[in-house]
Amino acid sequence: MKTKLPKLMAALCAGALLLAGCGKKDDTLRLFVWSEYVPQAVIDKFTEETGIKVAVENYASNEEMLAKLLAGGGSYDIIQPSDYAVQGLVKDGELQELDHAKIPNLKNLAPEFRNMPFDPGNKYSVPWMAGFVGIVYNAEVVPGPVVGYRDVFTPDHAGRIVVLDDAREIVSWGLVTEGIPINDVSSANLAKIRPLLADWLSKVKVYDSDSPRTPMLSGDTDIGVVWSGEGALLFEENPKFQWVMPAEGVHMFVDNLAIPKNSKNKDKAEEFINFILRPDISKMISDDFPYYNPNAEARKLLSEDQRNNPASYPPGFDVTKAEIFSDIGEQASEVDELITTIKAKSN
Amino acid sequence: MAVTGAATDIASGSSHQRRAGLGPWLFLTPMLGWLLLFVIVPTLMLVVVSFGERDSLGRVIFAFNLDNYVRAFDWIWLRILGVSVWYAFLTTVICLILGYPVAYFIGRSDERWRGLLIMLVMIPFWTSFLIRTYAWIAILSQEGLLNALLMGMKLTSAPIGFMYTPFAVVLGLVYNFLPFMILPIYTSVEKLDGSLIEAAYDLGARPARVFAQVVLPLTKPGIAAGILLVFVPAIAMFAITTLMGGGGNPTIGEVIQNQFTRARNQPFGAALGVLLLILFIFSLWATTKLRRGEEE
Repeated sequence: MKTKLPKLMAALCAGALLLAGCGKKDDTLRLFVWSEYVPQAVIDKFTEETGIKVAVENYASNEEMLAKLLAGGGSYDIIQPSDYAVQGLVKDGELQELDHAKIPNLKNLAPEFRNMPFDPGNKYSVPWMAGFVGIVYNAEVVPGPVVGYRDVFTPDHAGRIVVLDDAREIVSWGLVTEGIPINDVSSANLAKIRPLLADWLSKVKVYDSDSPRTPMLSGDTDIGVVWSGEGALLFEENPKFQWVMPAEGVHMFVDNLAIPKNSKNKDKAEEFINFILRPDISKMISDDFPYYNPNAEARKLLSEDQRNNPASYPPGFDVTKAEIFSDIGEQASEVDELITTIKAKSN
Repeated sequence: MAVTGAATDIASGSSHQRRAGLGPWLFLTPMLGWLLLFVIVPTLMLVVVSFGERDSLGRVIFAFNLDNYVRAFDWIWLRILGVSVWYAFLTTVICLILGYPVAYFIGRSDERWRGLLIMLVMIPFWTSFLIRTYAWIAILSQEGLLNALLMGMKLTSAPIGFMYTPFAVVLGLVYNFLPFMILPIYTSVEKLDGSLIEAAYDLGARPARVFAQVVLPLTKPGIAAGILLVFVPAIAMFAITTLMGGGGNPTIGEVIQNQFTRARNQPFGAALGVLLLILFIFSLWATTKLRRGEEE
């Protein structure tokens, strides 16, 4: 017989919660969001304008958020899941449907973000920021031309490469290079790309998802595959850091705001969502985190420099052509094992 | 009153043994409660989860199967565990070699200075270890302070890649764990009876022999405690190894952390955690034996 563990966990944790004091007031809007993604200034301004108090908790990965949310450890009013996490949550009925009448600022979203494959018609989620995974290189050291992944993992760059420490990402680069759709992570396809990835990863110096720009800035690596926000910050720092959208195919991630089903503050949560969709507020987010802003009205307020940053807004790139992750469920474990195994072997 | 009764018993060192009343247990309650809530219950949860399965969103489904343990004994995980144990071993040996003389010096120094010297050992704890680790990155990176110094002194023409190597990992571990070796050894050295050393010299022993036959055996408990305090946490450490090593050579701590996050496989992570726990219990047993050996 199988029972879902959360209940058992809840019973075991009851003591700990008592100690922590669960007397949380209901009038506070509780945000559970990515670390380093929601500017404090935005939260302060929301409280100032509406009088609604906001409490913020952070996480570092979608899975961390899912684990905590689904274990029922805390009741949150707003979460910030990425594309595939929204899909999984919707499938399991973990999100509340949004009342579009309460979110009139939805009209500010660019049309291509109104109908995302993971949540058509923004029924459950509203895009916060989008971004790409692409190539950044130090043009003073790397002569180029660099057009795709195959130009990154060359013998010339061995030991000078930084990549995201994210198994799903790395696997997706191998898949697009072999012409396989990035969400097709069947065991057969993983076996097929294994030799390619083993060759690539043997040349990697640093794996870092949190701050891959650090080894680029310190000169420990010359080229890498990183988040576009990191590429944009590097370009701001020094234009020698060139940004390239991989020719084999581009992965776009979309982080969203959504309301979990056990939130008792749905009205306030919708008010917050409407608030961040205001062009002036959305611009504040862009100022701190130079990703691709899905808010078309906010983009008009950006400075020339912000709009011309090739990593934030890749010139001539049609975002509808980008590929988006879908939920791969249990296969996540096999994807992780593939990359861990290759890493451990290449040393 | 039971409490005062027990206290006077201890104070007077009464000749007749009385049974411990409620008093000692009352004193122990906070500690027992702490142990129950933060050691025993989490450990039980770990064990329970390690036999479970998980659903597509990573939720744990309670079941009883040994699949996670079968998988844990695959060579790849054992190899990663081996690498972690090797790093921890190197760290412990280096900490012992570096820490012992320091602890001995502080323990034998004038009492006026001891407090100050020990405080100097502890001062780094005032800053978060993550921040101190980032400071090492600033020192060791290619455009960092050390390379600038070496190139400024014309000792090397091109920057040396210190960062993101096994060297950097062990350096980070040694740096962070050194105080945990120094402090227990210092406690042993401080308790050392100086007259025993004098007696050894009076009887004609040379310094090397005094150290090997008098000082070392008497400070063994401190060494054992230091080894335990460094070796055990060093095996499971993940933040330092990722930051300093570049994540290319995963340690068991990183693998377990991944299971609980991106891999969405808490039961497998829990199974690896249980194996690590068994390894720790073994280390504890081994160091306790080392300590006991000294008493016999």
